[in-house]
Amino acid sequence: MNSSNEARKDNLLVGLAGQQNAGKSTTFNMLTGANQHIVNYPGVTVDKKTGFYRYKDVRVETVDLPGTYSLTSFSLEERVARDFLLTEQPDVVVNVLDSSSLKRSLYFTLQVLEMDFPIAVALNMMDVAKRNGTHVDVERLSHRLGVDVIPTVGRKGKGKNELRDAIIATANRKEHNVLRVTYEELEPEVAALEESMGKTTLSGKYPLRWMAVKLIEGDSEARRIVREELGENSAAQTKANEIRDKFEEDHYMDVADFMLGCRDRLATDIVESCVTEDKEGRDTITDMIDNIVLNRFAAPFFLVATVFVIYQLAIVQGYELTNYWWPYLAKVRSFIADLLPAAGLLEDPYVRSMGLWMVDSANGLLNYIPIFVILFSLIAILEDSGYMARIAFILDKLFHSFGLHGQSTLPYILGGVFAGGCAVPGVMATKGIPDERSRMATILTVPYMNCLAKIPFYTLLINVFFVEYKSWAMLFLSTFTIFAALLISKLLTSTVLKTMETAPFVMELPKYHPPTIFGVGQRAVERTWQYIKKVGSIVVAVSVCVFTLLQFPGLPAEKMAEFEGRMDQALVTFQTKIKKSSYAGEFQDVQSVVNLLNLYHDYKNDKMSTRGKEASLALNEKYKAEYPGMYMFLKPGADKDAKVVNRALRKLSSSRKSLRREMKEVRISNSFLGMVGRSLEPVTQWAGFNWKINVAIMSSFAARESSVATIGVLYQQGADENKSLEERVGSESGEGGFTPLHALAVMIFFALYPPCLATTIMIKVQTGSYKWMTFSILFPTALGFLVASVIYTGGSAAGLNGIQMMGVFYSFVVLLTIVLGLFDNWRKDPVPLPDFSQQATKERS
Amino acid sequence: MKKILVVLTLAALLAFAGQAFAHTPLMSCFDNGDNTITCEGGFSDGSSASGVKMFVKDGNGKTILKGAMSEDSEYNFDKPAGAYLVIFDGGEGHQIEVNGVDIVE
Repeated sequence: MNSSNEARKDNLLVGLAGQQNAGKSTTFNMLTGANQHIVNYPGVTVDKKTGFYRYKDVRVETVDLPGTYSLTSFSLEERVARDFLLTEQPDVVVNVLDSSSLKRSLYFTLQVLEMDFPIAVALNMMDVAKRNGTHVDVERLSHRLGVDVIPTVGRKGKGKNELRDAIIATANRKEHNVLRVTYEELEPEVAALEESMGKTTLSGKYPLRWMAVKLIEGDSEARRIVREELGENSAAQTKANEIRDKFEEDHYMDVADFMLGCRDRLATDIVESCVTEDKEGRDTITDMIDNIVLNRFAAPFFLVATVFVIYQLAIVQGYELTNYWWPYLAKVRSFIADLLPAAGLLEDPYVRSMGLWMVDSANGLLNYIPIFVILFSLIAILEDSGYMARIAFILDKLFHSFGLHGQSTLPYILGGVFAGGCAVPGVMATKGIPDERSRMATILTVPYMNCLAKIPFYTLLINVFFVEYKSWAMLFLSTFTIFAALLISKLLTSTVLKTMETAPFVMELPKYHPPTIFGVGQRAVERTWQYIKKVGSIVVAVSVCVFTLLQFPGLPAEKMAEFEGRMDQALVTFQTKIKKSSYAGEFQDVQSVVNLLNLYHDYKNDKMSTRGKEASLALNEKYKAEYPGMYMFLKPGADKDAKVVNRALRKLSSSRKSLRREMKEVRISNSFLGMVGRSLEPVTQWAGFNWKINVAIMSSFAARESSVATIGVLYQQGADENKSLEERVGSESGEGGFTPLHALAVMIFFALYPPCLATTIMIKVQTGSYKWMTFSILFPTALGFLVASVIYTGGSAAGLNGIQMMGVFYSFVVLLTIVLGLFDNWRKDPVPLPDFSQQATKERS
Repeated sequence: MKKILVVLTLAALLAFAGQAFAHTPLMSCFDNGDNTITCEGGFSDGSSASGVKMFVKDGNGKTILKGAMSEDSEYNFDKPAGAYLVIFDGGEGHQIEVNGVDIVE
């Protein structure tokens, strides 16, 4: 590793390593500028950020490693960072230290030094340290560590060239005489083990001293490497075990703790010799802010206020912005629609319907872009400023009882804890959760929050079936989902997610520092762009699957014939109506009528995405210029004959629209998805669902129908236009025996059911796995059905009505949540109240 | 217990926050030239607007017509004399308003 090449290296690989919040990203940006790109590390969803720069004729590839507190094998990020170092063997590791909390940063440095890499240290945030009254003696630090130490202020680009010089110098240095951690009385054993491993195949491949230390500590990754290289029960492994056992027997002390202590003493010693504190100025700002923000009584208020601002800005204002953003997506859609084969009279060519289906699916997700830009900017501000860590801190204990993480707060809020939100940004916001298991649990439970698309559906059913208990029923639905999410998270983390990585909760409160516009903006754009790229690749696969499920096997022949007959009838009516006009000759054949219909349809569609009078008139001019021979049928003006055609066209167009809608309904209930819905009836009857409800539920998920429209479709038989949907559902319930208990079962099913396809696509993006995506559809469906069955069958058996059952069920859920939460806390040793003072470091018991 | 209180306060606050739909509502209105107006609605992801509540208000802000989007996501009404405003009510805080002046033939 320290091999000294004769010639100066002109191609360098640099790994940028350090703890979270040390300013790694800003240092990375400072070094590489805008010239960077992101991929995932192979096989995992951890971002791998690489950038290039050229300096003094040396081309330097820089890799920003995941921010980690240490290099053990606790978490995915740590392992990824360590694997990179071990396998890629970078020429130089640039270790970014936070000079305002040097001691904590040094733990990491000592571990990298132990791995025997050429290191250059970027001592970042010198400005913050200075402001806090901390003075670091750079020269002495450099001397003690035996490496180059460059003071930098990443945000302001200070120290850029000095750091670049140091990287080249370090890479070309022939001798490295770096600081070594000595493990006091264990030192002879470490040395002996290192020496014995020098005779094995490990030599040259891995830093041996580091291997020896890790083996004695009992690190799982090190064991794995030794097992792979030297086989089971190797001499090295046996020796390491002996050393550990002997030490622990003699000292009644965990060997890993002892070794950690050695590093800790060394770090303390370095800090003592290199850092002087000016007591007057120390930490005043961070302390002052924390005194207010983390005050026992004020903390909840600040938390709520922050969350409220995020919700308002990202969700509410973000949706407002989609009104301006959407027309651009609509333009893309109509552009693609023009490229595809033209629409038929009743049925479109498959290429067209599939193509448009895909575009619509993609647009549905791309419509979120304004929301994401705002959301990611706000998250970046929260992270950079240091408040994110405090949010996690405040709520972690509560969430932890249910297998979640303090940082699950934000995803839940965005998903719509109470008032309704959207699961798509919610799932997206889980990115920062460091604990793999909690992150998965959050991803899988955010969809239980009250997505706003569900609310009109609840309102409809409540207005029909629970009208006397309206506010109770609403309260039930909005709070039930929170308890459900907590319970399900508990269930998942103690079953399917049990084996997942969980990082020990090492929470520290970094100092506050102001985020930079460049840093925040760049992160927001970067993450949004990643979102776009990922959506692009997944949406194709998923939408083709769903399209197939909905489209095939298609309409039965006799049904199709019936629709065609009705369309022919409408065509005849059209011809008859325009017979006397001077334009009758132009529309003798069907194709010319279809062309006119399609033009009219496009015109209306384009009109829908214009706003205001001017835009509307401009669109008219555009159509007038493009279709001079047809425009008068769209907008007849004073031309009497054209007016006749226009009126007939409108009638024909709406007949076609209705027929197409009816066909779609028949097609869905006849599709593979519909068949599943029908065939499930014998099972779903336990939940009180007939096949119509089954089909409606399935299509509301897959076919992007709003749930109100879906239910409306179900109850349209003999629809009397003058009756509202409420009345219709109500009157049907009389005959069909649809009782409040049925309604309760359906509502609870909907509450537990995955909200939409967009969310599940997002789950694929965040978990990187189609397996989890499928799980996120099947599990809630099964669970929702099970609970609905208990409600319906149980309620019927006990002779309870809807509202009584609601009360019983709610009490059960709330009690279970409280018992589980309390039990978890009781079982563990009591954890002292969080110490909100500077740099508190907490570890979960 | 304090933490639960935190969550509850937080939740209560959010309960009063504005609402939003998971997709952008769309509506356009046409003057049919025969003293009737047709409004067509929909959502950006292709969802139907069937069942969405519709209101027409006169110049003084008084509601003169009330209805809902048909199964074909359309709403027809007689053109009111004087100033009017068409409202597509896709949930609180997410409405579309079209001024009668902007509805051209």
